[in-house]
Amino acid sequence: MRAKLGRTIGVGWFAIALALLAGGQVNAPAADMKLQAFLLWGTDDSKPPEGKDYKPVQLDVRQKLKDLPLKWTNWFEVRHKDIGVVQGATSPVPISEKCQLNVTRGIGPELEVTLIGKGKEVVRRKQALPKGEMLVLGGNAPNSTAWLVVLKRLE
Amino acid sequence: MDHDEQLKLQAFLDGELPEGEAREAAEWVARDREAAAMLEELRHTREALAGFETGTQLPESREFFWSKVQREIQRRETPAPEPARAPLFTVLRRFLVPASALALVFAATVMVIRPAGPLGGTAGTEIETALSDSGAFTYRDYSAGTTLVWLTYPADNEDAESDEIGTLE
Repeated sequence: MRAKLGRTIGVGWFAIALALLAGGQVNAPAADMKLQAFLLWGTDDSKPPEGKDYKPVQLDVRQKLKDLPLKWTNWFEVRHKDIGVVQGATSPVPISEKCQLNVTRGIGPELEVTLIGKGKEVVRRKQALPKGEMLVLGGNAPNSTAWLVVLKRLE
Repeated sequence: MDHDEQLKLQAFLDGELPEGEAREAAEWVARDREAAAMLEELRHTREALAGFETGTQLPESREFFWSKVQREIQRRETPAPEPARAPLFTVLRRFLVPASALALVFAATVMVIRPAGPLGGTAGTEIETALSDSGAFTYRDYSAGTTLVWLTYPADNEDAESDEIGTLE
């Protein structure tokens, strides 16, 4: 009799714990997702163009770019922006005078990234971006160079 | 007269002495007045008590009575066998079966009532829509966790020619 009572109490506590966990998962407010957006310029030259104070790209970003099928050997950081986006919100990130990135956070690590150039939507991409991963948007630029917009998730 | 001599007289009176010792005791009583007085007193005492002794009749034989006592002692000294314990798996199963059922119910509930996000769908979905760039392609490096979306924008057109890195700068 006592053993049966003990088992019943144990199952009861387990059910309560599960309920609390489930409730927490459903109702817990999502924390800010920290991201960094980089505008990069790619070239085979070892130096940035005259008159530009472009910095060499961050080491971890450069390492990941090396693994991509890109022909350019050097990447310079034109500018970067820190972004914090909460679930359900959209953060507009100006990349340049003519280009903007809209970052919308979905559930968990899911993001929707929209690249807008000259006021027109160029590309919209929705994907999961776990911590440490990168989304790279890029294209050719004049004089056999390239541009990249790199979105890196920090936390 | 010491204690041993008194006991000897008592044994003589009860007829418990061997024949030789009984003869010696009789001679001792005949010549010793104190011993004769003690023997007489013991005899009177025995006769006085004889009327009060009632025989007790056991309902069973002596051997059977003591064998019952012995069996009872042995029964009490033997430890009671412990109830057989249920195997660990059985005990765990009794707990885990209802617990698993509850966990499944909660998991199903959470999945059903989970609110749809602003993007719709669930985490991990990957949908790409290139609106103005049909020439875009995607490359995914799973080991590095990097996704590359290569665009034809901005094309090597007149807008791009005017600037070093196209229309982005």
